[in-house]
Amino acid sequence: MDGSVKLDEVVMRFGDFTAIERTSLEIASGEFFSFLGPSGCGKTTILNMISGFLTPSDGQVMIGGEPMAGVPVNHRPTAMIFQNLALFPLMTVYENIEFGLEVRGVDKRKRREASERLLALVALEGSGSKLVTELSGGQKQRIAIARALAVEPRVLLLDEPLSALDLKLRQHMRAELKAIQRKTGITFIYITHDQGEALTMSDRVAVMSAGRIQQVTDPMTLYRAPLTGFVASFVGENNRLEVKVVDRQGPRVRLDGGALGPLMGSAGEDVVLANGQAAALYVRPEHLRPVDDGYTGPRLETTIEAVHFEGAWLMLETRLDASGEKLRVQLGSDLAKQAAGMLEPGRQVGFGYDPEEAVVLPDDGSPVVDEATGEVVETSAKGEAEAGGAHVSSA
Amino acid sequence: MFRQLSERFGHPLAMAILTLLGMWLIVMVTLPQLQMIDYSFRPNLLPAQRGGPEDGWTLGNYVTLFDNEIHRAIFFKTLWSSVLVTLLTLVVSYPLAYYLAKVATPRQAALCILLLIIPFWINEILRTYSWFIILAFRGPLNEILLALGLIERPIRFLSGDAGVMVGMVYAYILFMVFPLYNAIESLDDNQIRAARDLGAGSIRTHRRIVIPHAKPGIATGCIMTFMLAAGSYAVPALLGSPGSRWFTQIIYNWFFEGGNWNQGAAYAFLLLVLCIGFMSLVMKFFKVGLGDIAK
Repeated sequence: MDGSVKLDEVVMRFGDFTAIERTSLEIASGEFFSFLGPSGCGKTTILNMISGFLTPSDGQVMIGGEPMAGVPVNHRPTAMIFQNLALFPLMTVYENIEFGLEVRGVDKRKRREASERLLALVALEGSGSKLVTELSGGQKQRIAIARALAVEPRVLLLDEPLSALDLKLRQHMRAELKAIQRKTGITFIYITHDQGEALTMSDRVAVMSAGRIQQVTDPMTLYRAPLTGFVASFVGENNRLEVKVVDRQGPRVRLDGGALGPLMGSAGEDVVLANGQAAALYVRPEHLRPVDDGYTGPRLETTIEAVHFEGAWLMLETRLDASGEKLRVQLGSDLAKQAAGMLEPGRQVGFGYDPEEAVVLPDDGSPVVDEATGEVVETSAKGEAEAGGAHVSSA
Repeated sequence: MFRQLSERFGHPLAMAILTLLGMWLIVMVTLPQLQMIDYSFRPNLLPAQRGGPEDGWTLGNYVTLFDNEIHRAIFFKTLWSSVLVTLLTLVVSYPLAYYLAKVATPRQAALCILLLIIPFWINEILRTYSWFIILAFRGPLNEILLALGLIERPIRFLSGDAGVMVGMVYAYILFMVFPLYNAIESLDDNQIRAARDLGAGSIRTHRRIVIPHAKPGIATGCIMTFMLAAGSYAVPALLGSPGSRWFTQIIYNWFFEGGNWNQGAAYAFLLLVLCIGFMSLVMKFFKVGLGDIAK
């Protein structure tokens, strides 16, 4: 059963607005693939094109090697789990799960066998006769999964299905979804704005912004080697420093941090940097550690403004002495213990980092952050051309 | 209730509101009805004979219906035709309500609703007369059908029940469309999408998802349409022929032509009982309570 999905040069326009820029992408059969991005980035539009609720303005969608143009929603080998689950409230759990089979004319006994099997898969044996309104949030979630799996889809589409659950349950369901995906071997295409979900469950992640796929790769690479400023800022936390490229030797890049002095970073092979070019250096909070005066590597002199104890780690809010910019530092508990005396608001502390873990990218504008949530929404228009250059056509 | 009202409006105003409400309910609703019930159980006497030896309680007025074969036939015909009108209105209204609630853009829906409502700014009698003209033997509908070659000679729409049916479906369509529209509109779009996504075609999606959800709206619309149809006077009087008399016309005749108010009152109550009976049946059939309908 070929559950591969291919987007071939698809474009989606709504009037003058282009929701999805020309995009090509291949998702392998049996892959757990996520689209990650802020709301309005177009990820749900992509899902709707795969499921058939939307027809691309140009290009085509292929599932299992077959073009889907002209194939209506109810004849596609996909099943969707909706953000609000959309269970049928007037039906029992059995009727919900069996709906797709009933449509396909499967007889009653076979339908019941299938639904019992699926109830066992989602660990809800014996609740078939209940009304869906009697179930808890987590149980509804599982019934939605069972209902979608009942039609034996080649591709399961999940539209932020965990967003309505509380934190504990959400983390539990992540593991469960992954386990179900492994057990069934079905292609899962998962839409989320929650990077935690995308990183923990996916084989590969496509990060989207403004109707464009920024980068497609496995979670580890995504975190360690972002290809665009948007990915660097959106996935995980990152400190962004504006620098100029001095020169480059292999992956190692020497940088001029202006008032911050000479700095170092590394750049991937795909990243094109010219000497003297404006660039951005991304240093993750957990890659910074306090250093003493004898340290010779690149260092950042700061003044601590606030210290937050988070249990397993310590989060420091500091300000760079030279530029006045904010720098966030995360220290593991052992480092925090060692440096206990120095880490108080008002103290001046120098932080060093390993240049191999600091990423240099062409300057494509500072990230636009949602005031309310503190989440990265978009990169500003500056350097749109470079961002376009990094537009990914992954195979 | 008095406490809540007086907390909000003060003592005197609360008193006034409740008194007016009470007056309205008792003087304008309850007493006239009681008077009519009283009438219906008394024989039709000359004013001089009232309170005399012949006056007294009797079921005679109610029995008349079952003795009079023609009246009885018209009574059941009214019942049957009102059911037909209700079903016909439902069939016409459902696609329209679904279109308004789920397919049309807000702009299109607003325009459509406006177009639906505008004719109702005109008096019901006038609207019915316009159908009288449209359906006439030498009227525009026959002319068009003749011109299109669909019929060879004009049809007498206005003899039989057809004219009454058309007139009533048109007259009461809003009472069906709006409850349906409200019910369908409250259905989550994702329910429809989920059904489609699981493979259901549009007929099954309607049968299993949309219609069950819209049941209270369907019940409300059916009850309203049935009551209005069974109690309609103008439409059968104008569009009907002698062959399609409605029970309301007989009630009218008892009151205003026969001068027998007692008999008329008895017939009116029989019609009321019929309507209440139909309403409870529909509610039972759709498994909805009064609360669902009042929504």
